Amino acid sequence: MHDFEPKIVAFVCTWCTYAGADLAGTSRMQYPPNVRVLKFPCTGRIDPVFILRAFQKGADGVLVSGCHPGDCHYMAGNFHARRRFAAFRALLDFIGVDLNRLQFSWVSAAEGGKWVEVVTDLTERVRTMGPMPEFKELEHEELWSTFAEATAGKSTGLNITADKSQVLNTPGLKEAYDSIS
Amino acid sequence: MNAKASKNQLTSIEPAYYEAVTEAIRKEAVKILKEETVVGVVGYLPGRRKGTATPALVTSVEEAEKLIFSPACVNNLSVYLTKAKKGVLKQGKVGIVAKGCDMRALAGLMTESQLQREDLFIIGVVCPGVYGFGVERTGTLTEANIARKCRECTVHMPEGADVAAGTHAELADLTPEEAEEMARIEAMPQAERWAFWKEHFSRCIRCMACRQVCPFCYCEQCLCDKNRPQAVESSPRPAGNMAWHLVRAMHLAGRCGGCAECERVCPMDIPLNLLNRRMAKELKELYDYEAGLAPVEKGPLNQYKEDDDQSFIK
Repeated sequence: MHDFEPKIVAFVCTWCTYAGADLAGTSRMQYPPNVRVLKFPCTGRIDPVFILRAFQKGADGVLVSGCHPGDCHYMAGNFHARRRFAAFRALLDFIGVDLNRLQFSWVSAAEGGKWVEVVTDLTERVRTMGPMPEFKELEHEELWSTFAEATAGKSTGLNITADKSQVLNTPGLKEAYDSIS
Repeated sequence: MNAKASKNQLTSIEPAYYEAVTEAIRKEAVKILKEETVVGVVGYLPGRRKGTATPALVTSVEEAEKLIFSPACVNNLSVYLTKAKKGVLKQGKVGIVAKGCDMRALAGLMTESQLQREDLFIIGVVCPGVYGFGVERTGTLTEANIARKCRECTVHMPEGADVAAGTHAELADLTPEEAEEMARIEAMPQAERWAFWKEHFSRCIRCMACRQVCPFCYCEQCLCDKNRPQAVESSPRPAGNMAWHLVRAMHLAGRCGGCAECERVCPMDIPLNLLNRRMAKELKELYDYEAGLAPVEKGPLNQYKEDDDQSFIK
């Protein structure tokens, strides 16, 4: 078991899942507080780049949730999203991202209980998987090069002399790293 | 001699074949320019160095007589009808020399209403393949110097052209390098796949040559150039590079015709066409769609079926 609290980012559509999550709240259902909900007009509005951004900025898991097929406020937004995400999953898999961290679901405005179940499932799954290091490491490497420049007193970045452990002990770096992780 | 010629056709494509294609292209280009069917022809002229070719727009009969086709004609010319060169089409109907893969790009652009079929006169080339990068250019195309993408080409015969130059010619028994490499990557454990791509993307210098040369990257403002809000960091650093290549592959999913120009122009040798091929394969499996074989009304990600697979959705 990992001793950490996963950060889950949920991209939800305003018409179904957001209302469903709201229902879970007003019904005083309990669910893990790890999820940060972001409301979108429709799942069709959710660009795969949002998911990448979430992972880069420290999410350990991402949930995308919208209306059940046939219930879309805009008739077909969720159908288009379904195709797009099916393709995006294949791409992430090919790049080497664990798809267990990425969950898609349909939650209607009446399904407060299902919202709780989906969020709990994903949170617990990600908790056992541990933190997601991949995308964060990429951001970290960027920081590392920045701080290496700073400590080496170079402004060009072409002559990085400081080694990684030295840089990691640099005051300010840990705070900067923590702010993204 | 005939027995020898047919044997040669199996293991190498001799210069004589290209000369015949060149003749056919010149004849057709001269004809359509004389008849004023078109205002110009986008084709290839000999490059300054021996064994090279350069894309050109020819507008006179004299110039048209200099057009060539050789294994050095690697460029996908359809890119000259999009983006900055859009002005070409404003002058009137344009002729274009198109290999099979370029033909797929043209069909894809017609699908996306970027080109109209009636604005084009397409001189299709029955293309046996082109040179790969950094190979010896002997004038003869063999297994040793053919481009990676051409090893698995399915469109040697361009479909839907106005005229076709050349006859069917194909190299025999080529190893499908890209398919093999894709299978190798797919078989890797997930962490290794990540390491593989991370290493490749870390070399990216974000020169955007892949975007510049792609006929399908015609957006006037690219999402990846926007900075308010900034979705993809634009400097050549690890996180932004990874995001850029994922966004690129995603935007080309179901559209890319596989001309592999992105990979050819990449100064850092990133195997970009592998990503494109992977996405094409996925869309073929999921939605039975192959991009660019003929102009269609809508691409696979612009339409849907109610019974699409949703086994991944809870």
